[in-house]
Amino acid sequence: MANNQNIYKPIKAKLTDVIEESPLIKTFVLIPEEEFSFKTGQFIELSVDGIGEAPFTPSSSPHVTDKLEVTIMKTGYVTEYMHNLKPGGYMGIRGPYGRGYPVETFFGKEVLILGGGCGLAPIRSLLYALEHVKDKLKKVILCYGSKTPSDCIYKPLFARLNQIEKFEAYRTVDKADEEWDGSVGVATTLLNTIKVDIKNSVAVVCGPPIMMKFGTIRIIEMGYTDDQIYLSMEKNMSCGLGKCGHCMMGEFFVCKDGPVFTYKELKNTPDIWK
Amino acid sequence: MKTESNKVIIEDLKKIRFFEGYSDKQLTAIVEMSSVKEFKVKEILFEQYDELHDVDILLEGSLSLGISLAHEKRIHLGTIEEGQLFSWSAVFSPYISTAWVMAMKPAKVISINAKQLNKKIEEDCDFGFKTMSKIAQTISHRLSDTRFQLMNQMTI
Repeated sequence: MANNQNIYKPIKAKLTDVIEESPLIKTFVLIPEEEFSFKTGQFIELSVDGIGEAPFTPSSSPHVTDKLEVTIMKTGYVTEYMHNLKPGGYMGIRGPYGRGYPVETFFGKEVLILGGGCGLAPIRSLLYALEHVKDKLKKVILCYGSKTPSDCIYKPLFARLNQIEKFEAYRTVDKADEEWDGSVGVATTLLNTIKVDIKNSVAVVCGPPIMMKFGTIRIIEMGYTDDQIYLSMEKNMSCGLGKCGHCMMGEFFVCKDGPVFTYKELKNTPDIWK
Repeated sequence: MKTESNKVIIEDLKKIRFFEGYSDKQLTAIVEMSSVKEFKVKEILFEQYDELHDVDILLEGSLSLGISLAHEKRIHLGTIEEGQLFSWSAVFSPYISTAWVMAMKPAKVISINAKQLNKKIEEDCDFGFKTMSKIAQTISHRLSDTRFQLMNQMTI
């Protein structure tokens, strides 16, 4: 990994494209000025000079090292500024940080992925990584929920995944509009009808805390054991280094020990869904 | 409006997750109290507050489930997918539906006569326990999904 040696110094990256995914979510395509690689599920600190920085998990393939895509929801001061950036501008990248998905341990298994809202961003990176090793996997099932059809990000991704051998993708919306003819209901409703070999499977959950809570409970009810469930604790990511202490969850620093954990590791941690 | 009626075959039931764990004898009993009904797109299977006589399981197609507000405005709350049980109110007093159900795609439904089902539940403990456990699980999922949906709305 030839990423930055000084942990506090960002690599300069040119913004080459901005893709509007939904009214509040945009994907930023960046070309780092130095080689940059990451493992799927690891995160970076993305900064704008004079404005600030925030942690994000890349949404692009970990096998592409000359280009990085980061999907950002407008939620505050820094992300609002980022949303106003135009192609040609520059951003800074620190990282990558933390522990990503242990893809090698998924070999020979079925992978059930439950996602919601902007949680599809790290999942897309994982899907690219799984596609890269699809010959070593039994099946990959994506169940994704968004609040409305217009809130659904990466819309073409679903049709593309359903074309790939061994991949199945389903989506639902909490509230339909006039044109929507797909499933209506929260993401967990999709789990009622999928066929999965639970004993030979792992489950990945990533999304808003409410979805992660209800999703994890339903997945446990399906028969998954605590160590078969991987949670991406994105909301707890902070400085990236485990120095500021804001990422602390029980005995773990999410920035260093996560953001990907098994449910077994976190189940006794107080307030994990807050 | 129900448009067609057919006999249920045991092989249909064996494909449905709800009936996992039932013996052939128990499935035969279900067959004897069931029929297959077909519905066209946009056809209403039943309205909210209708008296229900059958418990249904979707065999093919897709159904929308919702509630009606004033001025007959229909609110879609969820989708019923293949293999899912609905109209469980038919088994419990006062046997009144809590929601309406409409076909979103041409639908084929297994309708189980609720009176006969309740009689079998009372007579056959093993059958009764399995059936009530599975109906309770369906209702539990609906409740959990509704709480999730409610919390989603509250955090907008």
